[in-house]
Amino acid sequence: MTNRREFLRNSLASGALVSWGVTVPAFLSRTAAAAPRADRPGAKDTLLVVIQLTGGNDGLNTVIPYADADYAKLRPTLRQDKAQVKKIDDHVGLHPSMSGLAGLLEDHALCVVQGVGYPNPSQSHFRSMDIWQAASTAETVTEGWIGKALKCAPATGTFHLTDKNEGTPLALAGAPARVPSLTALEDFQLRTAAASSADKKQQRALIESAAQVQSGTPNLLDFVKRTAVNTYDASRRLREVAGNYQPKSPYPNTALANRLKLAAQLIDADLGARIFYVSIDGFDTHANQATTHGNLLRELSDAMTAFYKDLAARGHKDRVLLMTFSEFGRRAAENGSKGTDHGSAAPMLLVGGKVKAGVVGAHPSLSKLEMGNLRHHTDFRQVYAAVLDKWLGVPSRDVLGAEFRGLEILKS
Amino acid sequence: MTEAIDPRWAWEPYQPSAGSPWDIKKVGHLYRRAGFGATWPELEEGLKTGPQRTIDLLLKGGSTSDPLTAQMEQSIIQANNGQQARAWWLYRMLNSAHPLREKLTLFWHNHFATSNAKVNNAGFMLGQYDLLYRHALGNFRQLLQEISEDRAMLVWLDTSQSKKGMPNENYARELMELFSLGIGNYTEADIREAARAFTGWEIQAGKAVFSPKQHDAGVKTVLGQKGAWAGKDIVRICLEQKSAPYFITGKLYRFLISESVPAPRELLEPLASQFRDSDYNFGALVETMLRSNLFFAPAVYRTRIKSPVEFALGIARALEGRIGTTSLGLKLEELGQNLFYPPSVKGWDGGAAWLNGQTLLLRQNLALDLTSTENNQFGRRTDPAALARKYAKQGDKEVVSFFLRLFLQGDVPADARAKLASYQQQARGHSYPVYWTKEDVDNHRVRTLCHLVLTLPEFQLN
Repeated sequence: MTNRREFLRNSLASGALVSWGVTVPAFLSRTAAAAPRADRPGAKDTLLVVIQLTGGNDGLNTVIPYADADYAKLRPTLRQDKAQVKKIDDHVGLHPSMSGLAGLLEDHALCVVQGVGYPNPSQSHFRSMDIWQAASTAETVTEGWIGKALKCAPATGTFHLTDKNEGTPLALAGAPARVPSLTALEDFQLRTAAASSADKKQQRALIESAAQVQSGTPNLLDFVKRTAVNTYDASRRLREVAGNYQPKSPYPNTALANRLKLAAQLIDADLGARIFYVSIDGFDTHANQATTHGNLLRELSDAMTAFYKDLAARGHKDRVLLMTFSEFGRRAAENGSKGTDHGSAAPMLLVGGKVKAGVVGAHPSLSKLEMGNLRHHTDFRQVYAAVLDKWLGVPSRDVLGAEFRGLEILKS
Repeated sequence: MTEAIDPRWAWEPYQPSAGSPWDIKKVGHLYRRAGFGATWPELEEGLKTGPQRTIDLLLKGGSTSDPLTAQMEQSIIQANNGQQARAWWLYRMLNSAHPLREKLTLFWHNHFATSNAKVNNAGFMLGQYDLLYRHALGNFRQLLQEISEDRAMLVWLDTSQSKKGMPNENYARELMELFSLGIGNYTEADIREAARAFTGWEIQAGKAVFSPKQHDAGVKTVLGQKGAWAGKDIVRICLEQKSAPYFITGKLYRFLISESVPAPRELLEPLASQFRDSDYNFGALVETMLRSNLFFAPAVYRTRIKSPVEFALGIARALEGRIGTTSLGLKLEELGQNLFYPPSVKGWDGGAAWLNGQTLLLRQNLALDLTSTENNQFGRRTDPAALARKYAKQGDKEVVSFFLRLFLQGDVPADARAKLASYQQQARGHSYPVYWTKEDVDNHRVRTLCHLVLTLPEFQLN
């Protein structure tokens, strides 16, 4: 049996290499942001920010069924005090540290999709993450759902806003041009030790000419060259972006908030960038999770809220959509180390001026568990389908390889 | 797709022949894969002495006790300083008399990928480093048994929190999925049962202690075997599985041989059999691979993307400079390889994932910092101009050839060579600050040329 990692290991030479992008970039051109055809759904210059919660987010400690008697029994030490929970309705509420998102609920800008998963869930971090990123349960997956969406809409500017020590996500593989990763604008420039500006030009020309792809066969050298060509191009264009961005609403000083602020800056620079992919790690909370998980949820909630408010203040309220996902939720019952082991179904959070505010779908039953895990009732690809068809204007069938009924997550 | 490789031929020892002569490309390849790249004398010496003796030298290594690292160790443990630990390891890699052993320690660090972000104990991390280093060319069974009781691992995958009655599944899962078998070779039930066997471990006063009262001594069924198993038994049972020798062999193949040439089961079969029949003698497996026909075959040449460590140390070693590894550790973190802080328990993905827009630019800029002598972190300790003088390379043509041979064994397209030579000519005519002497200008031109050589796409490959 081969999983993606082994497949990548074994066959970088052929298909998998191609999936990292083979053509010279068409992205980031100003035309990408040019007037869209208003008759096509989702083509109205919409923005999508995907936030990956790495490690398996404890959904039961994120959207809390405080009114369910079984909840307290399953979580004898980790349960949240009913009075502290940020109530969404008579049954569920958000973790007490998520006051930011609770506020957005009042602004009708938060949608909570409950009980999301997929059939025969894997409890391996890496296999399950591959499934979510590829939007496929096929044994071997080499392309991501956003990468495939970009095949249908190649001029959609896309960025992976990355932390140090973080690889490129599978979700972006398959795009016609390699999606650039970006940590900081000031580091996204090629430096030279040139004697003069003429020298600088010569050196750059030499460096860039060495990256020109000659052969047509996808091998590793070609891969390096294509990455280099895309990068030098992106770097040249990003030089125009002003270094000093003044948010309209304050951001907390956290790693996630800083990356979202960079996304806001790129949006503000009007380069045609529409899709952003960011991750926040640390959700694999097997032991003593109460404080750790609370802090992670606070970082997530505060960053999403700040970004939404900043963009709303710039008039982009109805253009923006943020979506969270994690590879799985966690076991319903806590373990003996005041933590939780790997589980399955969990909620997804959506933020934006156009989301259907409130809860979509019921909280999974706490009494009808499967091997101790919550059962999903909504396939995550139904959420992706809605985002693709109704938000990005990309036919979801082409990306998902099958018909998934789009979930009602957007206001009509 | 490439043609199928004959497994018998693949693992037989390589002998130089008219069709596949011993040349400088092969020396460079060997030093890149089995170490952190070659210096100029190593290239010349390797070319003279041939593959057998060069590989003997790499396998045997020199004495690795260095009073400075021992002294640093104490201060790292006392200060509990993870960043110092990272610099300490880079210092060892850069100056080691046994680079292969350091390289394989890095292989095992990536395999058992334990992060100090959670362990938060530099002493435990150095303890795990010692364990990996001790067994780096040793026996995998021994290593797997000991890592299961290693303090950093007990914390990293929560074994130290796992108690009878309510076991924590973290270690049991990754033992099977990532450390020995690979996904698809066990069930969720195996994990839950195995987790019970690993209960009872605690950290007390900085030591790993087994507490029988916390251990679940009941009967468990794991991978079809039923008994009152303890952790040791689970490791034994895992290593009895057919998939185990293939899993490790496949991973080492990717590390030493190729990321892009597929390794089907038939190709790995002779190695996996050897590994199993030798009771998991890992050192012998490494030796078989390094001496093999396939290792030196054109099909696998430049079929890995250099890791950040390989990229940076390859430059620093070749330039023969004793650079400060605290700054280097910081740079490697930006490039995506933060030693002692792998991003997850599966380690770094490696391969294509190393290179994206940001990391490519940071690599080119790091190459500049290491060659320009104007960077305040690395200063003049790695100076290409001094190196060229040391080996008496003079004149533009000779200098261009020297750096291409040192870093790429001269194996670059004729066009790139021509462009470098022509740039070197033109650079004579650039306007330089008036207070620069002729020597300043010459040195500057050599350093710039060296940087341009390092920005060639071929230099990203191993």
